[in-house]
Amino acid sequence: MPLVRKNPWKTLQSRVMFAACAACTVLIIGVLGLVTVYLFSIGFGATSWEFFAADPTGNALDPGGMRNAVVGTLILIGLASLIGIPLGLLAGVYLSEYGTERLLPGPVRFVTDVLAGVPSIVVGILGYELLVVPLGNYSGWAGAGALAFIMVPIVARTSEEMFRLVPDSYRQASAALGATRSQTILRVVAPAAAGTVVTGIMLAIARIAGETAPLLFTALGSRFLTTNPSEPFPSLTVQVYTYATGPYPAQRELAWAGILVLISIIFVVNVSIRLVTLRVRRSPA
Amino acid sequence: MTTAVQSSPRTFGRGDAVLGLAARGSALCILGMLAALALVLLAAALPSIRTFGVGFLLSTDWRPNEIVGAGLDAAGNEVEVVSPPSFGGLAVIYGTVVSSALALVVAVPLSLGAALFLVRVAPRLRLAGVLSFLVEFLAAIPSIAFGIWGLFVLAPFLQHVVEPGLKSLLGDVPGLGWLFTGTLNIAGEVVTRPIPLTGRDMLCGGLILAIMVLPIITAVSRDVLRAVPRMQIEGTLALGATWWQSCAAMLRYGRAGLFGAIMLGLARAAGETMAVTMVIGNNNQIEPSPFAPAQTMSSLLANEFAEASDGLHRAALLEVALILLVMSLAINILARSLIVGGGPRAAAAH
Repeated sequence: MPLVRKNPWKTLQSRVMFAACAACTVLIIGVLGLVTVYLFSIGFGATSWEFFAADPTGNALDPGGMRNAVVGTLILIGLASLIGIPLGLLAGVYLSEYGTERLLPGPVRFVTDVLAGVPSIVVGILGYELLVVPLGNYSGWAGAGALAFIMVPIVARTSEEMFRLVPDSYRQASAALGATRSQTILRVVAPAAAGTVVTGIMLAIARIAGETAPLLFTALGSRFLTTNPSEPFPSLTVQVYTYATGPYPAQRELAWAGILVLISIIFVVNVSIRLVTLRVRRSPA
Repeated sequence: MTTAVQSSPRTFGRGDAVLGLAARGSALCILGMLAALALVLLAAALPSIRTFGVGFLLSTDWRPNEIVGAGLDAAGNEVEVVSPPSFGGLAVIYGTVVSSALALVVAVPLSLGAALFLVRVAPRLRLAGVLSFLVEFLAAIPSIAFGIWGLFVLAPFLQHVVEPGLKSLLGDVPGLGWLFTGTLNIAGEVVTRPIPLTGRDMLCGGLILAIMVLPIITAVSRDVLRAVPRMQIEGTLALGATWWQSCAAMLRYGRAGLFGAIMLGLARAAGETMAVTMVIGNNNQIEPSPFAPAQTMSSLLANEFAEASDGLHRAALLEVALILLVMSLAINILARSLIVGGGPRAAAAH
């Protein structure tokens, strides 16, 4: 006689739950796969050379392309990065390297986490109140400011984690060689962490590339190609939103194509993050 | 003898001072960002807070325009009565709460099941890497993409297949009639009528939110479950537990972190804007039926903020934004306090 008698009911329950867990995984991958396949298949059908080569015509039946929006999104990402990345990195340096100070680090870390949870539409409204109302018009600057606001906490927290991963023996060795604190941070800690810090930055870029809500009341959108951030500024996401919720089939087609381009950008960034992480893990730090 | 480092002590000091200043400045800047957010919203919402007080949270009235109607004055003569614009946030608060709850009801069991599978089974099948990458990539798909899919695929599917099916199945069941009839207030008269099934309703909003929070809840709960010590699992198995019994023990062990994962999902659902705006039907009323169009705080802001020219209307919208901010921050803080070492993923998860 076996030492432990199996309870057939419990065995059955276990089998059922195992199947249920497997089914959950399949269902999640299935649903999300379905969404992705839809986005890609309809998007591919709607994408043409004209999408990248032409600006919107203003004619709803023959809407042209979205060159202005692609350029606009890239410029907005660039401007937001110019503000958001240095600020986020320095805050990350502060949290990791000056984290033993008495007063600030605790509250700053807490507030950074809190900021990461602010709904993006609220950031858009803040951008409107702080940058649109005082400047007098919707502008690319306001849009970039709102996006930078979203970048800062992400870059700060990820770079803090990455700086912390650098072993303390590096800092001690550097100090023992007579380096000052700033030399240690800039020439020893930063290069050692650079590879992984980049992933945090790319994560933030992937995130803001897809943001719509913060741009609705700041950059607003425009159907003209422009490089002047002090006027209303086009972006892929806002233009896709406008087209998708509008009544014209030709514009809806373009919206699907716009989504495809957007997701492709984000996909490329994600894969690069993956590659960078792999490379960094392989090479001895 | 030569010294190892040859620059003069003066420049050392300057470098330290500059970097220290920049780092501390950035840290203060982060504090300033939150302060600016809170103060600006509060200041801009003040006219609405002053006018409506606590009543804002209890009123479902959202009327940006004044209504001119007939009425009687004190002497009994017919006069024109002008009711001023009136604002109350209850309908959109209800919309946010119910749509997020709906999303969690659908997403949580699925996510936990998948997280268990990813931790307990997938590594043996050498699937863990691929599945994890998929889940993470899907978490990065922007809201607007889900919105388009919801608007052109999910909503029509619900409208033409699911909802008529449910209606023919449940419509005649006594006690469930409220699912398919709504009340309409036409010029003071309350009319009951069947809800037109458009597919763009509370159900669709809840489902699209569920799909959007699936990856984040799955990814964070996977991390939580992975952190359950091996000894715990092996201990249960040694005592003769079945596969599921040991899984249940894992879930119990990680319950605080799992609750945190769910709260992170809730925070994302509550603050989510674009996808919901596109599928929820945008109707500022409380309707008990999930097949009726609704409105969330964020979709109200997306729809009306750009067009709000009237001062009080704008202030009321800012009060809604303030409530949304406070609500999602409270959920986020709770979530993060529960997920120990949530770190960069939690920071980027929103």
